[in-house]
Amino acid sequence: MIVAYASICVVLFALVAAGTLHADVSHRDTARLAWRQLLPLLTRLPAAFLAANFLVALVPAHWFVQFLGQSSGVTGVLIASCLGAVLIGGPMVSFPIALVLMQAGVGVPQMVALITAWSLLAVHRMITYEVPMMGWRFLWRRVTAVLVLAPIAGITAELVLGVWH
Amino acid sequence: MGRTSARRIPVDGITVFFIILAVVSGGALLILNGVNAFSEALGNGLDLMLEVMPLVVLAVLVAAYVQHLLPMDFARRWLGGSSGLRGLLIATVAGMLTPGGPFAAFPLVLGMRGVGASIPVCITYLTAWSMLGLQRIVVWEIPFFGPHFVLVRVGSSFLLPLVAGLIAMALVRFAGEPT
Repeated sequence: MIVAYASICVVLFALVAAGTLHADVSHRDTARLAWRQLLPLLTRLPAAFLAANFLVALVPAHWFVQFLGQSSGVTGVLIASCLGAVLIGGPMVSFPIALVLMQAGVGVPQMVALITAWSLLAVHRMITYEVPMMGWRFLWRRVTAVLVLAPIAGITAELVLGVWH
Repeated sequence: MGRTSARRIPVDGITVFFIILAVVSGGALLILNGVNAFSEALGNGLDLMLEVMPLVVLAVLVAAYVQHLLPMDFARRWLGGSSGLRGLLIATVAGMLTPGGPFAAFPLVLGMRGVGASIPVCITYLTAWSMLGLQRIVVWEIPFFGPHFVLVRVGSSFLLPLVAGLIAMALVRFAGEPT
């Protein structure tokens, strides 16, 4: 966590410096934009954290290791892909849930598949943005084209880790 | 944007969903596994929240600066009318560089379609943006999961936007371009 805080502070410092050099970037407008994007998270995030912890506590601990652990292999990757596809919410909500899952014993390739499936198929994003703006005919072509990518990413991660170790 | 809407904490569908999910799963845990299991899960949730919440505030600030610093029409200018494998490669890079959430990326895709970008180019762009977007990697993924995990994930998927584009090319040949 210390590394996380240090790295994000460095990035923020660099961006503030860049913003100061740019005449058309106002710190006040930027802070206002950040505040607007933070507001919905103040209620959504605590609810998501609690829900994730309750749900993980409800599922017997050995299930995570058995079905989604490092040794669950391709089956685990496929289960994780399905799980990721139904995970709703932006990164601020999904990543805490994924973090809870990782602490519960989900393996790295399975986690790669889960995050890939979530980023490609996030249902809430399709409903709120993609269908209204691009239409169903675009949506089904895109979904068909990306359906196999999450399992491919998970299996590739499994191979990469196998070579690595 | 009205003053009241900026002050009030908005509660939308996703928030309601998670509140209901938390209440139902918390109730189920209390009934099925008892008070001890419930309070342990509650404690874990609050601990993690306290650890992550300040990080979220910093991340949102970083995202706001990125959105103000990067001109949003750059991808549109690059991608209008481009196609073929070269178009897919440019779309991959542009997608990775596009900051912001879906509220930024989808209007851009709509603009790209308007200036003649093909469906496979748009699909490759959206795939690269959602899987390999640099802003999300730097702001969210490295802090949460650490550089080792991110290296494995990005290493396993950096060719996949191209794969999606190639599948889309075959699909468009088979099913046609939507009008």
